Amino acid sequence: MRISTSQIYDAGSLNIQRNQAALFKLQNQLSTGRRVLTPEDDPVAAAQALLVTQAKEMNAQQTTNQGNAASQLGLVDSQLSSLVDLMQNVRDRVIQAGNTSLTASDRQSIATELEARLGELLGIANAQNGSGDYLFSGYQGATKPFAINASLSAIAPSTTSPVGYYGDDGERLLQVSSSRVMPVNVAGSDVFMNAKQGNGTFVVETGGNGGGINQGSATVDSGSVLDLQKWQQGVNSFAWSNANNPAIQVSFSVAAGATTYQLYDVSVPASPVPISAAAAYTPGQAISLASTNPPAASATSFGAQFVVQGSPAHGDTFSVTPSTNQSLFQTMQNLIGILKSPVGSSSYTNSEYSNALGQQLANIDQALDNVSRVQATVGTRLRELESLGEAASDLDLQYQTTLSGLQDLDWAKAISDFTMQQTYLEAAQKSFAQISGLSLFNYL
Amino acid sequence: MATGMISTGLTGIQVAQLGLLTTEHNITNANTAGFNRQRTIQATNVAMLTGAGYVGQGAHVATISRMYDSFLSSQVNRAQTTSSELASYYTQIKQIDNMLADANSGVSPALQSFFSGLQQVAANPSQLPARQALVSSAQALVARYQGLEDRISQMYDAVNEQVATTVMTINSYSTQIASLNESIVIARSATNQEPNDLLDQRDQLVLELNKLVRVTTTENSDGTFNVYIGNGQQLVVGTQVMKLTAQPSSDDPSRFVVGLATIAGPQELPESLITGGSLGGLLSFRSGTLDQAANELGRNAASLALVFNAQNALGQDLLGQSTGDTNFVSDFFTISQPKVYANTNNAGTATVAATLSDPSIDGVYTLSQAAAGAPYILTRQSDGQVWQSTDTPPTLANLNGIVPSSEGLNLTGATVVPGTPSQVTSAAAIGGNFYTKLTGSNYRLGFDGTNYTMTRLSDNTQWSDTSLSDLSATISGSEGFSVSLNAGAIASGDTFLIKPVADAARNVAVNSTVAADVRLVAAAMPFRTAANSTNTGNGTISAGAAISGFGTPALPSSGVTFTYASAGNAITLAGVPAGANISVTVGGNTTVYTGPTIPYTSGATISFAGVSLSISGSLNNSDSFSLGDNPSGVSDGRNALALGQLQSQNTMSGKTASFQAAYAQLVSNVGNKAREIQVKTDAQTALLKQSTDARDSLSGVNLDEEAANLLRYQQAYQASAKMIEVGSKLFDVLLSAANG
Repeated sequence: MRISTSQIYDAGSLNIQRNQAALFKLQNQLSTGRRVLTPEDDPVAAAQALLVTQAKEMNAQQTTNQGNAASQLGLVDSQLSSLVDLMQNVRDRVIQAGNTSLTASDRQSIATELEARLGELLGIANAQNGSGDYLFSGYQGATKPFAINASLSAIAPSTTSPVGYYGDDGERLLQVSSSRVMPVNVAGSDVFMNAKQGNGTFVVETGGNGGGINQGSATVDSGSVLDLQKWQQGVNSFAWSNANNPAIQVSFSVAAGATTYQLYDVSVPASPVPISAAAAYTPGQAISLASTNPPAASATSFGAQFVVQGSPAHGDTFSVTPSTNQSLFQTMQNLIGILKSPVGSSSYTNSEYSNALGQQLANIDQALDNVSRVQATVGTRLRELESLGEAASDLDLQYQTTLSGLQDLDWAKAISDFTMQQTYLEAAQKSFAQISGLSLFNYL
Repeated sequence: MATGMISTGLTGIQVAQLGLLTTEHNITNANTAGFNRQRTIQATNVAMLTGAGYVGQGAHVATISRMYDSFLSSQVNRAQTTSSELASYYTQIKQIDNMLADANSGVSPALQSFFSGLQQVAANPSQLPARQALVSSAQALVARYQGLEDRISQMYDAVNEQVATTVMTINSYSTQIASLNESIVIARSATNQEPNDLLDQRDQLVLELNKLVRVTTTENSDGTFNVYIGNGQQLVVGTQVMKLTAQPSSDDPSRFVVGLATIAGPQELPESLITGGSLGGLLSFRSGTLDQAANELGRNAASLALVFNAQNALGQDLLGQSTGDTNFVSDFFTISQPKVYANTNNAGTATVAATLSDPSIDGVYTLSQAAAGAPYILTRQSDGQVWQSTDTPPTLANLNGIVPSSEGLNLTGATVVPGTPSQVTSAAAIGGNFYTKLTGSNYRLGFDGTNYTMTRLSDNTQWSDTSLSDLSATISGSEGFSVSLNAGAIASGDTFLIKPVADAARNVAVNSTVAADVRLVAAAMPFRTAANSTNTGNGTISAGAAISGFGTPALPSSGVTFTYASAGNAITLAGVPAGANISVTVGGNTTVYTGPTIPYTSGATISFAGVSLSISGSLNNSDSFSLGDNPSGVSDGRNALALGQLQSQNTMSGKTASFQAAYAQLVSNVGNKAREIQVKTDAQTALLKQSTDARDSLSGVNLDEEAANLLRYQQAYQASAKMIEVGSKLFDVLLSAANG
């Protein structure tokens, strides 16, 4: 083939250009450590890298959120621990107060101590976090959740206005992993307000005798549920006089030395309706909650019973109602009220005192259970955060590896390519210099 | 005899001289662009007849011809025009390619920091610094969109400018070719010899022209060239020049297109005719990559703004305001509406307005009846799909049979107040998110006297309808924007160019009201729920969420109460706004009730009036739950959380891509295109080299060869001179003989 002189120069400079371009790119890659310098180098990897980077950044953000959540929950947890300590302490005092040998002034001093505890309790309930938000107020972080509601009158046996809850049930949520949204607070209502009364299912109380209080020495325990399903059915489907206010009363009668009892439907308190036949009473006997036919239209077992000790007087009653919630504050206020009442008169008998104290003790136990439950929830969340944290750091490593695989340079290959390209360039330059030096004119 | 020898020798000298001159011409023009080497064509003179036969009379140069092959030359032209096109495309696309994926200048980092800001607000909704940080990062994000868009519009301007200057250069080349045509005709007719250097110059001009735009040439019998552009539009005919013009497009005045100057005024050339060369490269870059980049960026910005605003509108700000309150700000971002250009050639006076549709959400329907006795109509919000009852008088049972079972709806228990549409929510709405259906394409609306036709320009999909509002409803359901006739009358043949998102990236901004008062970020939800503290069962109520449609009709200020009755195992809702049906979803199936009493299933989702919640657990008779306003809910970050989740949810392209995925796709598309162009450039460079080599192999000057030729003609000259000397000596011999 015939070669023109310009072809020699064009080809020479073109090849040198090409080698230099390749060398320039390799040098760029080597100096940045990245294989993909612009999306053009590997469009698929570049797009994927964007997505993986987002996933990695989101993971990092969620790790931050986990830290946030852990510190919030940690605060809650420490407050709950103080709360449990406090309630244990209160419980001890209540048991101490049950000792019949205590004098009125002893009870008074216990009451004084409980008043101090109540203040402490309010302090815990109104705890704030570092940025001034109340821990236990639900969504309303800036609202002090617990305070005496002076506009409400005292609920006996308490003598002071009840503590009201000004927060709500709101859960503050944080995205702690891509598939988990975690509440990082517990609502005050859940911890302090929503402890069920009595045994958690129903409450047994002294029901009074005529217009006054029970006169006998009978005391009751807090009762036990034998079959929760039967209780549920009984409460919801028994033919109550007023279905919205189910309540049973056990009424004792003493005639000719024999004590009998009978169950009444007192859902309309003014007009009791008997629902069981009269039965003989033996002290220490478990009284089963069940209607008989007659007098009731059907024989229904409520799947529950309670034990009466001692001897009731004629006309003494005990009432059984489904548990509703009672606040911890109310329980404390009730205890203070009970302890402050003078005991030993016919208007406030020792057994009435024991029954009342026993009932509040049951409430405290329920509240303790409730706080423990909440504490367990918080603990579980904290533990979950730990494992989420581990998963997140694993994931981070995974993303980093993927990213590196997508973008990073294979150093060994790049360096050997660089050396090779260098050799090519040198060869091209040297040969070009030599060829261009050849000319017939040199010999003319 | 001797005189014959001298004259023959003289012809040899003349031939050798011409040979030397030609060689020198070749040597001096070795580096002249477009020069084809020349050579002398030597021939013998006519021989003289003598008795001894024909005696040769020496040589003459018949002509000086150039070593030229029109086939090889046109191959170079073809290769060159494609190579220039690719080079011009590559130079342009490289700029976008670098810009989009850059770790510092791309959208991705700003998008990430914006969503991180949201998470901070979700963690600390009551903290103003967190809210301020969110607004600042949102401003950084929109600034990033605007910065990229700014760069893109600079590129549009640069393309316009380059189109204009290239057209000027093309016109200048055309004029030069025409004048060379004229010179060539004159030169030829005078001598009947080829004016080689003029031909070279003209060929070179054609090559230069091909670097700018692909042209084809034909040669006329008089030796002139005709030059054509596209599929036969004349640029040069003999000595006549048709000028090209650069002018604003009749479709879209913001872009320059190439036109042909005719007597009747400039006539726009379709872009498909302008191929090859740097002009072709520029135009195909503009329509192939720049438009896509601008629209995709705009689509990203518009989708983010629309989806974010829609979710923000469901929330409640730090001041306790939510939708329906006078000072509530539902739009976090502000955004521009689509741009519509009426074609400048339109005969009618109509102006058309386009509006971005509200983002879609799955599983939300509207049940309505225009008037008593009219058919019942169920409309799916996500795409405007309509089902209507067919019987008279209309019954919901009939409609229920018509709605496909895949929707999972049982409507028979609903009540429809004529004229008051009510919302129905199916399982798909639970945990669903807003999404847009915007595409990255531009659209053209046309009217042919009867039908309105909308064409999606990216793939020429068409929709047609005799009613513009029906067409608009269809488009809104599938393309994410609607159109309407603003004013004036439309005439047959009128067209409108619609760019739904082209300007969105430039015009997106953080709502200045929110920027001025960061408390207006709607981080909370507008209601909260509670279980009544006197409940004896262990039932719980979920926090609930506001879904599309919240606020119309508004919930009563006293809230809604849910009371359980063990008789009938039912929940009675008090306070549900009149006319609102209650949708109850169990598993995947939704049953619609008029209310106020619905059967109780633990964990079922209960939705009405844009509120969705569930009640679960075992309830006792008269247990109750409430839903009410959320005053002073400053630590409520539920809506911020929902907003934050938009980052990973599929919010674009009809719920198939997240913001980041859609952006990554743009990066990948541009990267792929750049790579494709680069690979093509490499191939084309090789092709160009091959054809240039083939041409140069024939036509290029080889200096060594010329050096050899110098020697050759020098020797020929010397030999001929020697012949004259010999002739002269012979003559001398003759003379001395005569003298002697």
